[in-house]
Amino acid sequence: MIAAVREFANRFLGRGDATITVPSFDGALKPNQKLEAAETLLICEAPEDLATDGRNLFIAAGQRLMSLNDGTASEVRSFERPISALCALPGGGLAVALGGREVRLYANPSAEQPNATFADSAFNAVNALTLAGDNTLIATDGSATCGVDDWARDLMELNRSGRVFRLDPASKTVTPLAQGLGHAFGACAHGNGVLVSESWRHRLVLVAPGTSARTVLAHLPVYPSRLSKASSGGYWLTAFTARTQLIEFVLREPAYRRRMMAEIDPAYWVAPRLRSGFSFKEPMQGAHIKTMGVIKPWAPPRSYGLVIRLDADGQPLYSLHSRVDGANHGIVAAIEMGGDLVLIAKGPGRVLRLPLSGLAEEFRS
Amino acid sequence: MRDTLTSLRYRYWPDHLLGEILSKRWTETAIPVILLLIVGLALSRSIDNFLSPASLADTARQAGEIGFIALGLALVVIVGGIDLSVGSIFALTDFCALYLLDVLGWPVPAVVAATLLCGALLGAVNGILIGYLRLRAFITTLITLIIYRSAYDLLIQRYSNAIASAFPDIPSWDFIGGGSIFGIPTVALVYIVIAIFGHIFMTRLRPGWHITAIGGSRRSAYNSGIPVRRTIALCYVASGVLTSIGALFFASRLGTVGGDIGVGLEVIVLTATVLGGITLGGGKGSVAKSAVGVLIVLLITNGLTTMNARGGVNRMALAGILLVAAMVDIRWQKNRTRIISKVYVAPTYHALPPPPPTEIGQGGPFEQNDKLRNVESIGLGRIEAPEDVILDRHDNLYAGSRHGDIMRFLAPDYQKMEVFAHIGGQPLGMAFDREDNLYVCIGGMGLYRIKPDGTVEKATDETNRSMRSVNDDSRLRLADDLDITDDGLIFFSEATVRYEMDEWPIDGLEARGNGRIICYDTKTGVTRTELRGLKFPNGICVASDGQSILFAETFGCSIKRYYFAGPKKGKVEVVMDNLPGYPDNINLASDGNYWLALVGMRSPSLDLAWKMPGFRRRMGKRVPVDEWLFPNINTGCVVKFNEQGKIVESFWDLRGENHPMITSMREHRGYLYLGGILNNRIGRYKLDNSDPNFVQYDKRWGKQS
Repeated sequence: MIAAVREFANRFLGRGDATITVPSFDGALKPNQKLEAAETLLICEAPEDLATDGRNLFIAAGQRLMSLNDGTASEVRSFERPISALCALPGGGLAVALGGREVRLYANPSAEQPNATFADSAFNAVNALTLAGDNTLIATDGSATCGVDDWARDLMELNRSGRVFRLDPASKTVTPLAQGLGHAFGACAHGNGVLVSESWRHRLVLVAPGTSARTVLAHLPVYPSRLSKASSGGYWLTAFTARTQLIEFVLREPAYRRRMMAEIDPAYWVAPRLRSGFSFKEPMQGAHIKTMGVIKPWAPPRSYGLVIRLDADGQPLYSLHSRVDGANHGIVAAIEMGGDLVLIAKGPGRVLRLPLSGLAEEFRS
Repeated sequence: MRDTLTSLRYRYWPDHLLGEILSKRWTETAIPVILLLIVGLALSRSIDNFLSPASLADTARQAGEIGFIALGLALVVIVGGIDLSVGSIFALTDFCALYLLDVLGWPVPAVVAATLLCGALLGAVNGILIGYLRLRAFITTLITLIIYRSAYDLLIQRYSNAIASAFPDIPSWDFIGGGSIFGIPTVALVYIVIAIFGHIFMTRLRPGWHITAIGGSRRSAYNSGIPVRRTIALCYVASGVLTSIGALFFASRLGTVGGDIGVGLEVIVLTATVLGGITLGGGKGSVAKSAVGVLIVLLITNGLTTMNARGGVNRMALAGILLVAAMVDIRWQKNRTRIISKVYVAPTYHALPPPPPTEIGQGGPFEQNDKLRNVESIGLGRIEAPEDVILDRHDNLYAGSRHGDIMRFLAPDYQKMEVFAHIGGQPLGMAFDREDNLYVCIGGMGLYRIKPDGTVEKATDETNRSMRSVNDDSRLRLADDLDITDDGLIFFSEATVRYEMDEWPIDGLEARGNGRIICYDTKTGVTRTELRGLKFPNGICVASDGQSILFAETFGCSIKRYYFAGPKKGKVEVVMDNLPGYPDNINLASDGNYWLALVGMRSPSLDLAWKMPGFRRRMGKRVPVDEWLFPNINTGCVVKFNEQGKIVESFWDLRGENHPMITSMREHRGYLYLGGILNNRIGRYKLDNSDPNFVQYDKRWGKQS
């Protein structure tokens, strides 16, 4: 009763859970334009995920699996459904998730038949795959109701149905590790547990067998996505889009959200996007007005590009940005290869490369 | 169904009035007055004869006596202090009057003068201690309260018998306390006279302003050269004198020096002061508030006494009221501006049907194209915020700038830029009259006239005040665009009467018809409002019949036609509605059609928000302006339409890189010149198939040599 009254008062006064504050990009998240300076390796229709065996770079681009070697891209194979996640296996193997509903393991990227296929009925939006320490595979599933590409609806419906599964290739069994997450999107082994990006709660949680999820990094100003290991310890955390106060406000306005989802084309929703500025029908906010011909980089981001370098404890060290006036938005995957960081900017459909030498020192100074 | 209910609710319930009423200064007096009426009504219902003449006269006598003391206290509180010793001063001066009259047998005028002097001296003690020696008002008057009370106790021990045994029969003395003129007690009459003087003193005379200034900020008052110490000291003297006037009437009415005279009086008077709305922090208050407070307190105490409440209950009630009033006063003073700013913005229901298509391949008159991609730029980076552009008959180009200048680019190459006239406000719409005077609408200032030699004159900055508006809407806030008829009438639009120019997004958030169209007659100099309740009226253009104007409603997304003369005089017709964007300026084209700038395009998310006023109201309160959902004014286009409401042609710049925003356009000798209020350039576009000799005002009024 008291809780209900308090919630009503909070809603009425805009306090407590009804506040729409978003943390600022500060400290290790201080903005720069590093991602705008990255070299474009490849432009393709719908790049989704990256994997590397150390020598070759594999790119999931729609239904096609591409490989990039010395600057030349070639198609390795294609599938009947779009690839929603990619993971290199030890010994040259490759795991792919197709359409979010099926995971296949191949002994090598061009193998005819898969070694193992997981098509659990619980799979709905498998969006990331990663290797756990014990040679099992970890899969994150964003939502039990919305498809892989329908994540904006998942956010707008306030769903909390993300799950984490352990796939054991030896026994071909699927074990749920965690559920009830706000859009699990990306994972990386960490000790005997798994770090998982929980996008809609703007945090990184540690999922370990036998214990409940523990928050590692919270209050992010962005929606975190896939993770990968950094060569010198720590992690690369991507953020596919950023939070704004307007979206936080809309998330607290059920009537408007309901009508928006029913009446408006999803491309023009007040929701985060991977790219923006392509139609005047997109929602425009006050700071977006071009003044004297210039769009301000500090305007509230409808789409944003961000990779955060985390230390071994999951705390941010520095970050690489593409701000509102930039183009390399919607960073969904980042992996280290050689001395470079290779990224996917899904907004403009680019695969980017950024040399890492000197970067850490530059931020430390 | 739900939309219908919402629309009815917002059409008939005037949300915007609450904020407008609260921002009026008289609301602070109105609230105590309403309280007084409620108390009076309640008591007259529950107590018989409450409103009988005898009862009223008795109330008026008491009100007069306490009213004088309350006036004195109000003065002291306004100057930033407090006077707790009024009860004791009241007792002492009462004793003084009766002692002089009964024991010493002085004549009445001398008694009156001496009593007033006594009050002044007692007040002067407070005044010197607080004003000159800078002691704290609270502690000082608390001490004098005790000292004066002790002195009074000592005096009555000695003289009370002498006073009580005397029965002076002096008609003039009795008249002071018990007399009446036309049924009104003398004390009430004197109070009214002094109150009227007090009102004039506080609002119209220099010392009164000094008192308010010191209460508002003592340091600023001192820095402004106001004699702070002397003024404060004199306020306490005045408080003493006013208290002694009250005591004189009291002495004359009752003629006693009982031990409890004036005990607890300070609480009654303080309650009246705070309840009337005089802020304890100083700097705010009026005579009317003091009078209303006294009446409320008296009605309550008398009502309670009549209902046989015990003295304790009576005091308890007063103290409770004082506490509540002080609390309300503090919270209100602290949050007043915040509350007003929160309730002032009142979004309303504004539904538009789905817009016509604009996408390439979907056809229709608004299909996007890239015709404007090769617009040339004039004055790139040199001019800022040219909302409107105009060319004179010698082909020179004029545009406003946000620095408050009218800039002139000289023909033929428009490279040389000079300041044609400095006005000081943001120039918006422009038009030439027959004598080549340039009329300009200036945001925040009104309608101005610039002679060909560059002299600036004000044409008008006010119109008739509308009777049904709470806000004073006679001043022009956002004159926007204009055109001149053949008879010298200037019709101009005022986009909103509720906000300033830089607050236009708030008007968009409200989406109410806050704008109007005004006519200024250049022959008589008379300004009159012609149309009201328009949704951000903007572009104005005289139509081909010379008896009507075309105007754009930016947030209404429509073009309408208003007949100011002829058989249809006074009528408004819709020319085009449900435009896919927000229309801005309208101007004549060489082929007899009209150019229209669409400053921005509609987005579905805002169209939906316009149907949900509650959503927008909460957005306005909780989300910072930079993050509000805005009308998209980053992309626009130019269209050509005719008087039948048909779009003839549209001109787009798909990426908006060359010319991001279009608020106006002007055709001149085969070119289209483009202005945009947030641009740093003027655009110039070569028109195909247009009259290479077209000059707008030459065409309308015949070429002059």
